[in-house]
Parts: sequence; C-alpha cells; structure tokens
Amino acid sequence: MKNRLQRLCTACCFAALAALALPAAAQQSQPRWDALQQSHFPGKTLEAAPFIHLTAPSRAPSGEQVPFAFSIDHPMTAQQHIKSVTVFVDENPVPLTAVFHFNPQSGKAEISTRIRFESDSPVHVVAETNDGRLFVNTATVRASGGCGGPVNGDNPAALAAAGKMKLALDGPFKRGAVNTARLLIKHPMYTGLQRDLNTNGFRPAFFIDKIEVSYNGKPVMTADTAIGISEDPFIQFGFVADQPGSLQVRIRDNAGTTFRQSLEVGG
Amino acid sequence: MRRLLWLLLAVLAAQAQAAPLRLEQVAPGVYVHIGQHKDFEEGYDGDIANIGFIVGSESVAVIDTGGAYAVGMALKDALRTITRLPIRYVINTHVHPDHVFGNAAFLEDGPRFIGHARLPQAMSLRRDVYLRNLKKQLGAAADHSTLVPPGETVQDRLTLDLGGRKLELRAWPNAHTNNDLSVFDGASGTLWTGDLLFIERTPSIDGDVKGWLAAMATLDKLPAVVTIPGHGPVTRNKHQRHQALARQRAYLDTLLRDIRGSIRQGSGMPETMETAAASERGRWQLFDVVNRRNVNALYPALEWE
Repeated sequence: MKNRLQRLCTACCFAALAALALPAAAQQSQPRWDALQQSHFPGKTLEAAPFIHLTAPSRAPSGEQVPFAFSIDHPMTAQQHIKSVTVFVDENPVPLTAVFHFNPQSGKAEISTRIRFESDSPVHVVAETNDGRLFVNTATVRASGGCGGPVNGDNPAALAAAGKMKLALDGPFKRGAVNTARLLIKHPMYTGLQRDLNTNGFRPAFFIDKIEVSYNGKPVMTADTAIGISEDPFIQFGFVADQPGSLQVRIRDNAGTTFRQSLEVGG
Repeated sequence: MRRLLWLLLAVLAAQAQAAPLRLEQVAPGVYVHIGQHKDFEEGYDGDIANIGFIVGSESVAVIDTGGAYAVGMALKDALRTITRLPIRYVINTHVHPDHVFGNAAFLEDGPRFIGHARLPQAMSLRRDVYLRNLKKQLGAAADHSTLVPPGETVQDRLTLDLGGRKLELRAWPNAHTNNDLSVFDGASGTLWTGDLLFIERTPSIDGDVKGWLAAMATLDKLPAVVTIPGHGPVTRNKHQRHQALARQRAYLDTLLRDIRGSIRQGSGMPETMETAAASERGRWQLFDVVNRRNVNALYPALEWE
C-alpha cells in the first residue's frame, strides 16, 4: 500500500508541476480533476452521488486546519458496503489527502477530520463499493496557505511529542449500535514544502501515513494518510460495538515508527 | 478608442496610487495615518494598518510602512510634504503583511531597517505565502512589494536618536506574534504599540495569548500619554488606553474560556467557530471573519492543554 501511495504522490507531484507550467487562465480546477481521475481510476466511470454528504466551509479562515467531514448513506452489510473512500484536494501540491478503508464493522462510512488547503480548491470524495462501483461528490473551499505555509512551532519539541494520542468516545457507549470515537494525534505532519531556516532548504516531510483501528481485535477502519492531513491530526470515526470491549489504535509515521493507544469502552 | 480608455484608466490609477496619505499629527512631530478596517479577503487595498513617522531635529524614523509598495510610497510622499530631513530609520512593529510590505518604498533612501530579533526568521518563513497572497489580493497593485528584512534587530531594548528626541524600542516575548516591537517617544510621551493593541478591529491572534495578556499588563503601566494602536483610533490619555486594553483583554479572556468550555463539552471545532466569544460580537469590527480565524488557530492547540 505504501508503494501505491508513493506512486500516487509522485504522480501528483508531476501533475502539480505540469499545472504550474500552464498559463493562469488554464488553471481551472476541472483539468486538474480530469488528470487525477485518469491517474487514480483509469478507464473507470465515477457516478455522481448526492448520498455522499460533505461538510466543508465554503470559505475557510485558513488553509492550515480546515474542518472537513463526509458521511455516506449506503448499506454497510457483508453483501453490500463501502469499501474505501479517497479524498482529493485538487489544487494541493499533493492532492491525494487520504484513503479510508471501511467494512461492516465500521457501521457507517463516515469521517470527520481537518485537512490542508494550499489555495482555493475543490475537494473530491470518491467512494468504492465492495462490488467495485465508484461514486463521487465534490465541494469547493476558499482557503490558502496550508501546505507550504510557515511552521512556527519548536521543531525539537514537536518531534519529541510526535505520536502521542488521545482517544475518547463521543457520547455514552451504545451497545449493539454505531459508536463514534475521536482520535487526536500529536504530530507536526511536516509536508516537505515548508522552509527550514537552518538548512536554507525545506524541512523533510514527516507525517503519519497509516492509522489502523480495531475493536476487540476486528478491524473497523484503516486510513492511509498523507501530508494533506493537518498538523496534530484529528480523526472522528464510527464503529459497531456488539459488546463492551477494547478500541485499539495503531499509527505509523513515514519513518516506520509505530505508536499505539487503546480505550476500554462499555465496561 | 478602447486603448485610449485603458490608457486613461491607467493614468488615473497611477495618480490615485501616488496621492499622499492622509496624516494626523497626534503629538508634536508624531504623524500617523489611520488604516481602514478592511479584511484581507474582501476589498483589501494594503492600507489597513496604522503607519507613520516621528520627526526629530536631525532625522526621521518611519514606523511601519503599510501593506504594499504603493502604500509605502504614498506614506513617503506625505512625509515629504512635512519634512526634508533624511529618513534614517524604518522600524517594523511585527511581520504582518499590512505593516511591512511598504518597506521597499524606502530602500532608495538608504535607512536602517530595524525589527525584533525574530523578525528576519518570521519574514523568511512567510515570504512565499505572503507574496503569493498579496498578488492574489492586489493584482498589479502588488508590484514592487517585497519583504525587506531588518538589517539591525532588537533582542531586548534599543535607543535611537533622531536629534532632540530619543526613541526607545522594546522587543516583546511571544504575544500578538513572536516578533512584536513597540516604540516609545519620550519627548512627546507617545507609545506606538503595533498590534499589541487593537482598537475597534477584532484582535487577531498569531502568537501566544498568555504572553499577549502579560504584555498588555505591562503596556497598561507605561508612562506614555498618547498611544497609537496597530489598528483603530489613537488614545489621548492613560485612562483611554487602559479602557482599550481592558476591552481587548475581555475579548481574549472570553475567547479562551469559550473554546476551553467547548472542548470540555465535546463540541467540535466547526460549531465552536460559530459560538466562541459570541458575547463580544457587538463590540468589534470584522468580528465574524477574524474571530473564526482565531478559533481555527486556537482550538487545535487548546485540545492538547
């Protein structure tokens, strides 16, 4: 998967460079999206899906921490469910922001998070069902300065704290129903596009690239995350709890270090 | 015909840019241009901050230069209607674009550019983003605007002699930004706070609120009579300054309390952007846009308290 992500990122970087070379008038968002579709879903048809509900501000106060959520009205049974959801911010230097993997234990294909916008951009959300159909919805956000923007924080302190987590249920435990949990990860999520004044170059990319959540040993949600996820990532997700148990999170950064956090619920 | 019209428009635009800024003499030899309360997103013209200069018997110190080369030029034109003395210093109170992009207009005068010890770093970090945003906001009116870093920085205090009057520069710990510098003119008892003090315009947070509140407590005790805030009208006595600081403190306290309350109650950031500090809404200009930005910046940090 990591290889795939890397390939995708590389493809996106070339797409970004190609777009930079275009005159301003040609930089409408649609060509970017057409190119993204062709590289990520070659030969596939994406069906417009109003049942993919998106929550994003039409105008974000800053591109650093833009609240963003999707919620997909679709069955989540073994026979019929949403398998994965891919989030693109078309105009970002790396448009592929995250791929979320779901299964019936997720309860609902639904995520609330915070993402980066380098400039005004459409965000495209593509959902794939277990039988291979692809659905898409989009929203446009006005924002700027989220990827190459300044890092004010103290680098050694940020690196020392990286990987700390907070995990909590949103509301009381509901046995046999979909529960919602909030995961907070302390992490600078360096994009590789931010200036490093000590070296006069750019601070190397350093980010969480994988989040795996399980409940009582069964996977409920996995995310492949990239630099479009905001600093100190926030991920809110659902899971089905048929009985009290242990919600477990394992995250990994792009240097290969893993961290774990767990929460006993319903006990 | 169309070409002629464009030419005419271009000439008119050039004239509009060249018009000297309107100045107010708030104390003997202390001149301020009061910026308009406009946001960076809607109708921004680079002329929103308080900028100006102080004239001594031998030289002049410019304090903040506006948000574009054109604004800096207009400030210089206005200055030249008042004095022919050399501009020996250009002082920046902090890194924000509405205060520094006019620096380039003064390069040809060969002044010493002076700022906080952390100002050069802040400028380097933000240069690309600031320039890109300025071009987007101003189009051709952003032309010639560059970030000119200070050649001389202030770690703690610095005294500048303009002849017959001395300016006391003071570098502050992390407050409104991490590079705030204030200027005190002892001769006239005038304090230039930069954005450590906002009047009327909603205070924007880009540093550390705790540090800012501490800086405000110190500002309140300074002997200055006239105080020039970074935005909004000049206060004429200590009582007025005290009231302005108290109002700003009330906003910052309320904002922190409300965001912490939201986080405790499990209310998310989008909801909190709508509700935090709502009780302060009627007291400030540009409240919705600036307050949302403040919540957006503070909420993710306060979650880790």
